[in-house]
Amino acid sequence: MMHRLAAWLGAMSCILSPVAAFAQEKSASRPGFAMAPGACILLFRPDISVGAQSTGGIAEPNADWTQEAREHLDAALGRAQQGMGHPIVTAAAPVGEAAAALAAYRALFSVVADSVIEYQFFPGNRLPTKKRAGQFDWTMGPGVAALGQGSGCGYGLFLLTEDQFGSTGRKMLQIVALMARVPVTSGVHKGYAGLVDLRTGELIWLNADRQMGGDVRTADGAAKRVAQLLEGFPGAVPVPAGSGQ
Amino acid sequence: MIRAGIAALLAGLALAGAPVRAGAASGAGALPPYAGLYQPSTVDERGLWMKADEYERQLRDSAFVIRDAALNAYVRGVFCRTVGPDRCAAVRLYVMRVPQFNATMMPNGALQIWSGLLLRVRSEAELAGILGHEFAHFERRHGLGRLRHGRVMTDIASWAGVLGGVSGLVVQTQAIGSIFTHSRADESEADLLGARYGAAAGYDARALPAIWMRLMDEADATALGRRQRSHRYDRVSFFASHPTSAQRAADLRAAAAALPPGGESGDQRLVGAIAPWRSAFLEDQLKLNDFEGTDVLLRQIAEAGWSEDLLFARAELYRGRGHPRDLVAAADLYRQAIGLNAGHPESWRGLGLALLRGGQVDEGRQALRHYLAARPDAADASMLAALLT
Repeated sequence: MMHRLAAWLGAMSCILSPVAAFAQEKSASRPGFAMAPGACILLFRPDISVGAQSTGGIAEPNADWTQEAREHLDAALGRAQQGMGHPIVTAAAPVGEAAAALAAYRALFSVVADSVIEYQFFPGNRLPTKKRAGQFDWTMGPGVAALGQGSGCGYGLFLLTEDQFGSTGRKMLQIVALMARVPVTSGVHKGYAGLVDLRTGELIWLNADRQMGGDVRTADGAAKRVAQLLEGFPGAVPVPAGSGQ
Repeated sequence: MIRAGIAALLAGLALAGAPVRAGAASGAGALPPYAGLYQPSTVDERGLWMKADEYERQLRDSAFVIRDAALNAYVRGVFCRTVGPDRCAAVRLYVMRVPQFNATMMPNGALQIWSGLLLRVRSEAELAGILGHEFAHFERRHGLGRLRHGRVMTDIASWAGVLGGVSGLVVQTQAIGSIFTHSRADESEADLLGARYGAAAGYDARALPAIWMRLMDEADATALGRRQRSHRYDRVSFFASHPTSAQRAADLRAAAAALPPGGESGDQRLVGAIAPWRSAFLEDQLKLNDFEGTDVLLRQIAEAGWSEDLLFARAELYRGRGHPRDLVAAADLYRQAIGLNAGHPESWRGLGLALLRGGQVDEGRQALRHYLAARPDAADASMLAALLT
């Protein structure tokens, strides 16, 4: 009976306890890597999701906000490329075998990016092979070359942002919970950007942040978000005017 | 883990995981009126569809989608016959190469049906009931209802958690429990509507309970083989998103009894349509490393007779476990398979390996020579050739 009660309490706290935020590194790039000057960057369809977070912590996706964010982020990227020294080319939607290859590599990239974040960016959680200082050695394999074919671009850029704006109820819960000394987080604002060498498949740079700024539903906020996403980009770092970083 | 479970529950609706809800779906044989090309309208529903659309962009190009035109045309044909051409046009159907028994429906009408399900259904009537079930989730907009109900209940649970105390825990428990009760009611409603769609399309609804009876036998065998506690079918667990298989079988039996008798099973058509793929699906099943469950499944499929592919799969299953007695059983099964079709080289390969491992060197090498003669370019040819000297 007792162990059943304990299981209950465990399950309940698992559902309702907020996720603690750990200190993590945000960015890393391949040591000694220099981008070919002027080479274009192929941008794959960014993974963008914007919504609200209910009082109980459920994600409530919002189609309008997501559409606005897509447009604003796209425009902000267009402006940012001027400071990067590399033109960004939006990848055309492929068909047939090329579509299957892209789907497979998108899936692979998200797994690799998650692995970098989990096994390299959290210093206490590093794999034995990822402990050397300054090391950044991750690859998706030379098959990635198929993605760049016909584009003339040497690099591929993957972007992901996920935003859940804390609802009024969530914020009230946060305040009341604070009085009861229970930490409750409100809102989710995370994203990553990653650059891949399309000839070798090597991951050149990854920048991930689980607490990002900038309201992507507005033009200014999207510019700020893009600036944060491209922080530490190998080569010139874009600093859009008025981003206040 | 459990939170992720709730998230998954809220995001999509799956067939397997299951009290009947009174209301819209009640009334003998009544089907909901078709509303035409449906478009989401509210913020919640448009948000859900947006997420589903993004997911489907990935799904469409996934390597797990089976693109075989004949198999797709067959499954789609059964689906269109079941729900009618208008409703059928609202759904994209994806046959997935996944060896478990499941089918899922996204809020936007993206339907996935897994190959493990195609391997396990016996007749078109069964398949129609399942496809009708998934369509019912779409037509009744269960995804949206689940989001809204889940949101209210997690709100209540969160406030109750902050307020604390024993009463807080009681309220929390009831609110979280309500999410799963709501989910089970959706599933029961979909089961009922699925049976009605099938019956309206001329399929025999009395075929449906048997699916769940067979799945229980297989699940029990799997649990036994893995030294796990057997599933309980007499009561529903707190976190169950679906009614128990026993409940579903009983409800479907009652539903079928209320429908007009008659209808066809279409078992021969189903067997014919799956036949070109069955060996591949069996091979996937063998890789699940589930000896007892797979053995029960093979015996279930073989109730209509042991064909060559079933004998071969069972032989591979036994040789894979590899006890000395298994090798003897496997060799016998390979020989039976060869007896039905001497031109199946893989049976010679298995026979050779089973005999060699069992100490019958000469006969084993002889069988391997049969295989290598038929498949000189096989990937493992040089490795097997090394066993011949």
